[in-house]
Amino acid sequence: MNDVVLKISLQELCQYEGLTEQLIVDVVSYGITEPTEGHSVADWVFDTSSVYWLQKAARLYHDLEIDWVAVAMVIDLLQQKEALEERNRIIEQQLNRLLE
Amino acid sequence: MEFKDYYALLGVEPDADNKTIKTAYRKLARKYHPDVNPDSGAEDKFKEVAEAYEVLKDAGRRAEYDELFRYGGSRDNGFEAPPDWRSSAGFGSATAEQFDGDFSDFFTSMFGAGGSHFHQQQSVLRGQDAEIEMPVFLEETLTDIPKLVEYVIHMVENGQRYDRKKSLKVKIPMGVTDGERIRLKGQGGAGQGGSPSGDLYLHIRLVPHPLFDVEGHNLVVTVPLAPWEAALGTKIAIPTLAGAINLTIAPNSQSGKKLRIKGKGLRSKSGSGDLYALLKVVVPATSNDDVRDLWKALSEKACFDPRAEWSKPS
Repeated sequence: MNDVVLKISLQELCQYEGLTEQLIVDVVSYGITEPTEGHSVADWVFDTSSVYWLQKAARLYHDLEIDWVAVAMVIDLLQQKEALEERNRIIEQQLNRLLE
Repeated sequence: MEFKDYYALLGVEPDADNKTIKTAYRKLARKYHPDVNPDSGAEDKFKEVAEAYEVLKDAGRRAEYDELFRYGGSRDNGFEAPPDWRSSAGFGSATAEQFDGDFSDFFTSMFGAGGSHFHQQQSVLRGQDAEIEMPVFLEETLTDIPKLVEYVIHMVENGQRYDRKKSLKVKIPMGVTDGERIRLKGQGGAGQGGSPSGDLYLHIRLVPHPLFDVEGHNLVVTVPLAPWEAALGTKIAIPTLAGAINLTIAPNSQSGKKLRIKGKGLRSKSGSGDLYALLKVVVPATSNDDVRDLWKALSEKACFDPRAEWSKPS
């Protein structure tokens, strides 16, 4: 049986995901994602869902040549869009049950 | 090999200045970036545009490219580099993260394969992370359940790309939610030259259930009621994820009313969600003469105007 991990440390993010500590500090300071554990930067631990958004933020920052404020806004809107799509899916499903 | 007209890809003239190239790239990148454009062709288009920009934004590389452009750019039947071609501008500081070495053949043969330097050296050799969708049934989220995960990962060995099938047993932790990502260390693509393997991320997708709808940690079950059940009240058995339970329907219950059944929803880190029974009054599709007579008698006795609200003076 393979062990499932729901956490990833700052060191692992830098080592494995090709992110730099400075980039992660930026992403956190702009509120794009936040660590679930750790008082000092070196002790930061993130939940694994953060990796998806961290990588997205890093790609947008480098590829679109936009600043962190803009990246934070894009990520915020993408997350809102995902939540709305999910909400829409639920409501449509319930509406179908009432109509069928 | 196909010659890449990077100027045409960015939609600029060959004598365009740096600012024009930058602006053209930014516009196209914003439009086609796969993180903001979910269309199927967007990612390929973005890769082309980013590759073009990678070359044209750097004065040294652009000068070399222009030389090639004059040499072979106008030929129709394939492109071969000049026999003594050797790039000196090369790549030392490229930052196009999205490639992971995924440049076109043209690019690789002209400027070398070392384009993707955003990752640190060790993570270039480390295997790539992989992500797969993991369908999970609602019933399975109530306990730690072993699941067999089968997936295909892209491998690179001695410059050769190939796909390899993998399967492994994973204990999906209790209380996983839709959209959650869980990580399996070292189960992604193999590393090169003894470097560690990448990780595998399982993207949890809760399978739609025939009876229950998911709302966060709560579940909703739609409960059809006969008009007389709604009017008189009744006791019915309600399905939950773990067996049926009895629910009392109060007299004069309305369609659309939600009854909360505490603790019968999905598990979460902070406890259990609730199950909501959503009442839905249904009328029999057909009725015989006797039944019709009874409805008629009821309509005369009940003195009920369901549209009373409409006739109220506003």
